[in-house]
Amino acid sequence: MTAPSRRTRRPSIVTAALLMVCVSAGATACATVPSGGRVVSGKSADRAEQADDPYVRLIPVRPRPGWSPAQIVSGFLYASASFDDGQKVAREYLAGNTGWKLGTRPAVTVFGDARFEPRIEKMSDTQATVKLAGKQLGAINTDGQYTADPRDVVVSFQLTRTQPGTWRITGLPTEGQVGLLLTKADVDRAFRSMNLYFFTPDQRRLVPNGVFLPLANRRHLATHLVRALLSGPTSWLSPAVKSAFPANTKLLGGGVDIDKDVATVNISREAAGGDPERMSAQLSWTLRQLSEIKQWRLKIDGDEVAPDGHEGVQPIRSWQEYAPDGNLSEELQSVETPYFIGEKGLLSGLSSGEANPLTQSLAYRLVRPAVAPDKMEAAGLSPDRSQVLLTKSLIGAREVQTLLTHQQPGSRFTAPTWDRNNQLWVVETAKKKSWLWVRKRGQPFQRVEHWGLGGREVLALRVARDGVRAAAIVKVDNRTQVQLGRIAYDAKGAIDAGVFLPVSSELVDAIDLSWRDYGTLAVLGRRRSESQVLPYLVPVSGSAISPLGGGIQGEPNSIAASPGAPVYIGTRNGTHNLICHQQSARDQFSEWTCPINGSDPNYYR
Amino acid sequence: MPAMTTINMTAIRRNVRRGLVTFRRVVRGVARRLYTRWRRSIQVRVVTSTLVISAIVVAILGAFLQLRISSALLEAKTKTATGQLDEGLAAVRRELASSAETGGRVESVVNGLRARSGPSGLYEVYIRDTSNMFVDGWGTNGLGPESVPRRLREQLKQATASSSFTTASTYGTLKYTDPERPPQRGLIVGGKAGQFELYYLFPLTQEERTLTVVQRTLVGVGAVLVLLLAAIASLVTRQVVIPVRLAAQGAQRLAAGRLEERMRVRGEDDLARLATSFNDMAANLQDKIGELEDLSQVQRQFVSDVSHELRTPLTTIRIAADMLYEHRDTFDDPSVGRSAELLQSQLERFESLLADLLEISRHDAGAATLDAESVDVRDLVLRAVGDSQTLAERKGSKVVLQLPGEPCMAEVDRRRVERILRNLLVNAVEHGEGEDIVVSVAADRDAVAVAVRDHGVGLKPGEGQMVFDRFWRADPARARTTGGTGLGLSISREDAQLHGGWLQAWGEPGVGSQFRLSLPRIAGAELRGSPLPLVPPGAGTSRPLFVELEVGE
Repeated sequence: MTAPSRRTRRPSIVTAALLMVCVSAGATACATVPSGGRVVSGKSADRAEQADDPYVRLIPVRPRPGWSPAQIVSGFLYASASFDDGQKVAREYLAGNTGWKLGTRPAVTVFGDARFEPRIEKMSDTQATVKLAGKQLGAINTDGQYTADPRDVVVSFQLTRTQPGTWRITGLPTEGQVGLLLTKADVDRAFRSMNLYFFTPDQRRLVPNGVFLPLANRRHLATHLVRALLSGPTSWLSPAVKSAFPANTKLLGGGVDIDKDVATVNISREAAGGDPERMSAQLSWTLRQLSEIKQWRLKIDGDEVAPDGHEGVQPIRSWQEYAPDGNLSEELQSVETPYFIGEKGLLSGLSSGEANPLTQSLAYRLVRPAVAPDKMEAAGLSPDRSQVLLTKSLIGAREVQTLLTHQQPGSRFTAPTWDRNNQLWVVETAKKKSWLWVRKRGQPFQRVEHWGLGGREVLALRVARDGVRAAAIVKVDNRTQVQLGRIAYDAKGAIDAGVFLPVSSELVDAIDLSWRDYGTLAVLGRRRSESQVLPYLVPVSGSAISPLGGGIQGEPNSIAASPGAPVYIGTRNGTHNLICHQQSARDQFSEWTCPINGSDPNYYR
Repeated sequence: MPAMTTINMTAIRRNVRRGLVTFRRVVRGVARRLYTRWRRSIQVRVVTSTLVISAIVVAILGAFLQLRISSALLEAKTKTATGQLDEGLAAVRRELASSAETGGRVESVVNGLRARSGPSGLYEVYIRDTSNMFVDGWGTNGLGPESVPRRLREQLKQATASSSFTTASTYGTLKYTDPERPPQRGLIVGGKAGQFELYYLFPLTQEERTLTVVQRTLVGVGAVLVLLLAAIASLVTRQVVIPVRLAAQGAQRLAAGRLEERMRVRGEDDLARLATSFNDMAANLQDKIGELEDLSQVQRQFVSDVSHELRTPLTTIRIAADMLYEHRDTFDDPSVGRSAELLQSQLERFESLLADLLEISRHDAGAATLDAESVDVRDLVLRAVGDSQTLAERKGSKVVLQLPGEPCMAEVDRRRVERILRNLLVNAVEHGEGEDIVVSVAADRDAVAVAVRDHGVGLKPGEGQMVFDRFWRADPARARTTGGTGLGLSISREDAQLHGGWLQAWGEPGVGSQFRLSLPRIAGAELRGSPLPLVPPGAGTSRPLFVELEVGE
């Protein structure tokens, strides 16, 4: 009775065993790496901010017994480039009583040489003098402002033998400002160029102020930034801007406290007298350079302060209305198009890719047009650039009046530029000479007395959209240099356009420039190694320049840029004037095409 | 104040001690309970051992898996790291080949290093220029120089001497100059290119995290697996244990006399076979016991019938014998008269034997009924003593009564209790050797007791039980002088048991014996103890030679 039943059960056991084998085979298949599947899309990390670059730290060596005075000086100079530990190791090179005070932002003398080569000048049994000759490039002040000051310098160190075979520095150099002596490589490694933001005198826009901060510790960068912001603009920019923070406002606590992505800035009670809205705007724009901060809150003496109409915790991207370039989010409703001199010399606009004359007839030929921001007036130059011309009311304008004729024979004018207060700026320049002219609306041109580039030939001048800074192409020693100046007004309204700082000398043959945005210039120029003039993006912070697109037919001669809008270039190809733009405005390296007949493109803003 | 502290201290100490004692008691209780469960339940034993063994196996398996996974992870990491290092070394060599002899070389190498160091956190780079004695190297992201272990540096230093290797790797800790940044465990690979020593330091945080996840998963899965195994073991044992338990219960009930108890037979497996055999056995037992019961029933019926049948001729014989006895003086031969007397006495004996036989057969048949009424036991004792007074005087014994002052009321069958007492007294007189006989009565809340003590030959060990056997005699050689049928004590015990009481005997050779009757005050109530001791006071110095005979055992 049991035998048949067992016989019928056996196949089911076999089936079960087979099933088990199949399941285990399937399970092992699960353990392998998939060879197919759906496409997963993501967003690449945005590492645009310079502060997020990995930084390299120099690891100093303690002084070793038996080192000669020259070696001690070398070791000291290397060790002083190590910022993380507050130059702790460098102090070991000093004799105990040698005073060497450094703040968190020490003054730095920048040397051009990669290595220090100290020489022993005098040496007795107990005393030694070590001299260091080198090429100074410039200096960073305690406020973080870098000023170029190239010259040859010699500094000397006094050393004393403290124990047999052990030399220590007793006298630091007294020449110039006492601070750190670093090579350019050290500065590149240990410093970061960051922007502080201050208000224009009319408090309507923010102005970036580039400073060099030692990157001692990435975590404390926010604290350093806020401290630098509270201590005010650098000496270069301070006449031209205002800070919303009352004097003597301090950062309280251990610094900026960053919890996850929310930063807390606790400032002292002096700030209660300031405008929380503008203080928030300054802090917001300054802190947004650090990618780890997404939101922040302002505290004054421990109490959270919320500006009117804002939450206590503010997103870092707020306060767009004070943007240095103007409030883009409002004005970008219509995509901005350039205007230019079209065929027959008519001032034309661009609509759906076609040239469209803005004025019907123009009795006078005009080059380098510039339309006022309120579009009430348009300025330009006569074709020989000896006269500044102006036409009132853009549409249907028939008359052109000559505003200014060159004062010096042989001199000529740079392209006119409007600031956002509808002031017209133009530089009259000759070889090794230049004059700055300014015209308020309805008034004649006036020469600016305080003009820092008076002794140089100026090829181009553009006032930034914040109205405070101005970028210029200056000829220095037969080479062009991009420089950045600021326009300050004193109490009587007198204009000070004195100090211009070099931004870049990489382009030996710069022709024209335009502000791409508040931190970047679009410059037409030629690198030393290249033969053709090409458009480049030049950051005003002094970082490396980068080319814009490639493969331009003809010779570029003018450039127009605007935030978030494509860059336009006017070129001359034989006898044709063509206006070029990049095929894809978003891609920095896309090809140029030149579909428009015309010249001298420019943007309203 | 100090006194108070002492008091407090002592109080605290006492409380603590008490608490400890309680705790120990609780623990011991739990342990004992567990041990009992462990001993009693095969299921608990199987489940526990499965739990322990599978836990060990899973732990070993998990440790092995963890080891394998971590070694595989680290192997992959080392491979990646070595690849990265090779690429870095190649870049440094290219730089060395292309750049000028002095000056910018270090800077360009360091700049290249900075560009290559990857997003911070993925890995750190540390480069040393052995030709520059003033700098110990350059590291990314605030890396401390102590992150590169000395042994790795030494190893790389030897790389110049023997060119069998150019790279080396080890595990270490990544330390940072920033005190807020915690040190991380990491993999450190190093290589040499010209004057440069290049180290890549890979934090193993991701691997640690993966391993933690794996470990947690393993622990969780292991725990679930062990519990599952235990549950399976529990289930399987249940399937075996429940039939076994049912069988045990069946056997218990069978042993308790419920012979109709059977097990359910399910399926054809071993347990089913066990049930079948059990049922067969139970059936056999029931048959045999039934047969035996029938047989004894037949015997009892036979005895009863015989007794009844004997009665009728006996009556006739009795009439004849009475007549003979009355006229015994008329016989010439005095021996005939003597014979008539003998016949008379033996007939009386025969009659009482027959009555006893009938009585005991009534008990055997379960036909004896209790005619209970509330009486004072002292009255019964007095009457019994009065009845046997003459016999005692004849034997030269004196009956001493120890009665309580208050009445000892109990619900008893007057006739039966009187018979018991008479039997006991007669027995005491018979074996009393002329010594005093003490009759004591006592009562408590639930029971009354009567003890009859003699100072005769006493009982030998084991005889305390046998005295109640039918037709048992202490000395078989002794003549039946006083008409004892040999059934008296037997019937007395049956009577006592009918009341729910006890009749027990104690004796010691040469000291005498005592019989104790204990009866519940309410008929049929369960008896828990007796108001009188079985061993008379002053007699039980040596080892007690009594047998506790309890009803129901």
